[in-house]
Amino acid sequence: MSALMNAQTFVSLHVLIIVLHVILLTVAYLIYLERKISAYIQDRVGPNRVGFDFGVLPFKFGFWGLGQPLADGIKFLLKEDYTPNGADKALFTLAPVLMIIPALIGWAVIPWGGHIEVGDIYVAGFHLVAAGPAQVIGANVNIGVVYMLAVASLGVYGVTLGGWASNNKYSFLGGLRCTAGMISYEIPLGATILAVLLIAGTVRPDRIVEMQADQGWFILSFPLAAVFFYICSLAESNRAPFDNAEAEQELVGGYHTEYSAMRFALFFLAEYAHMITASALLVALFFGGYHVPFIPWTHPEAVGIGPMIVKFLAFFTKVLLSICLMMVIRWTIPRIRYDQVLKLAWGALIPLGIALVVATALMVYMGWTQIWQLLLMNIALAGALLFSIPLLPHERVNRRIPIAGSRFSPLAGERAHAAPTHPAALRESGVAGPDDGLVSAH
Amino acid sequence: MPPTSTDVSHYLPIGVLLLIAITFAVVNVVASGIIGPRRQGAVKGTAYESGMNPLSSARKRFNVRFYLLAMAFLVFDVEIIFLFPWAATFAQVGARSDDAALFLGRVLFFLLTTVIAYVYAAKKGVFRFD
Repeated sequence: MSALMNAQTFVSLHVLIIVLHVILLTVAYLIYLERKISAYIQDRVGPNRVGFDFGVLPFKFGFWGLGQPLADGIKFLLKEDYTPNGADKALFTLAPVLMIIPALIGWAVIPWGGHIEVGDIYVAGFHLVAAGPAQVIGANVNIGVVYMLAVASLGVYGVTLGGWASNNKYSFLGGLRCTAGMISYEIPLGATILAVLLIAGTVRPDRIVEMQADQGWFILSFPLAAVFFYICSLAESNRAPFDNAEAEQELVGGYHTEYSAMRFALFFLAEYAHMITASALLVALFFGGYHVPFIPWTHPEAVGIGPMIVKFLAFFTKVLLSICLMMVIRWTIPRIRYDQVLKLAWGALIPLGIALVVATALMVYMGWTQIWQLLLMNIALAGALLFSIPLLPHERVNRRIPIAGSRFSPLAGERAHAAPTHPAALRESGVAGPDDGLVSAH
Repeated sequence: MPPTSTDVSHYLPIGVLLLIAITFAVVNVVASGIIGPRRQGAVKGTAYESGMNPLSSARKRFNVRFYLLAMAFLVFDVEIIFLFPWAATFAQVGARSDDAALFLGRVLFFLLTTVIAYVYAAKKGVFRFD
């Protein structure tokens, strides 16, 4: 009698349930972490009051504000889920749903913990699981990386629909910008992955990780591709410095200006889930996945429950380090202007990504696939880039426009005023103003 | 080694995960709609535009640049997707063999057509965003 399911299905379902909970919990605490990191960077304290006493228990249970995500979640649920009058009601509700679904299913092909052996499992005499080897992976499909790329690009629908359905100019502009940004950065993202696949010769993330454990991490062979990939994943998950969709100073909240309560929370959760997925792909492609040098239990040959847990922890630690870097980037680097974001994609990353693919293909054709050879290729490409920058055509779009009477940008031949000339400013500073009543442009 | 076949049952977990994700999203949206308060109002229902009265609907024509960008995206993204099967198999052809040269030459020609498209679009000003 054949079993109900094979070992792979059995393991996959367990991985799905467990990792889904880990990811949802991590997402909640990433928001806490982000607030803490931003607080330390800005010399504040951050959330430190909310504990697990829920306001009703007699004892005070502070816990450094660790109850904050729980309180946030409850509050999101209890707030009014408002739909503005002009909005397209169906699409307005659909948008956050379409945003969160790709974010929650993208990580299915991440190889969290190598492979394990599963024995026969009988439940009350019924043959439930057939014995066999299985990957510790959400779905052991042979399209791997392509699936992740496809799912990650579905997130753009939520943004576009959310911006359009709100019937708000800020939302609309934010949605448009975000759509343009996300689709632009998808191309170099695909190109950098192509460069890795050319060496790996497979699209299965588990095989790519095993290969890195054997031959050295791909960050050593492809530092340039890793940097491009990181930049693109920042832009894909709408993180600063590419978060023009929600540039507060220009667009209020961008595409989620009109959203409230749980529908807003879904947009918010999706951003953090995208960060986890992008970081997991980065770790799997460039940082050896679960492999850590000199720790035998993280080697693909190690099979068993213990090594599996160690591998998962190693993988997740790397993912968290990548996310922490994303957060530090967000709170230290100012937002890039919108047209410059698109220029970076179309003017730099896409030609460079294609150049990287061509260069890697030539290296593979010549059979030069050792780490040092690929590293030399990367260095040569980066050097060629640096030397060619002065030769490229420049557009002077950021010219300083001279203004009559300005202290900062005076007309040619005019003396730059070092002191305020406006009568109001002079009255305030108590210095007698010029009698001619000259009103400056500033 | 673990199984690496193309068994359709390997896609089953993705379906399960998709169902879980849909349920998660729908339950959250519905629960928040049921639990939260509901108070309507004429002013509350207007679009939030920083306190100004909205002048008109936001469903307006927008810059044609976004259409051009979407078209350019289609060209390049389809090209990248076409290259994936090649990238996954090229390493197995064998370095410096005749097959590999043919394989590489065809892909380089394919990329050349894309480069022509890129140069054309750049000359037409598709990538001028200011």
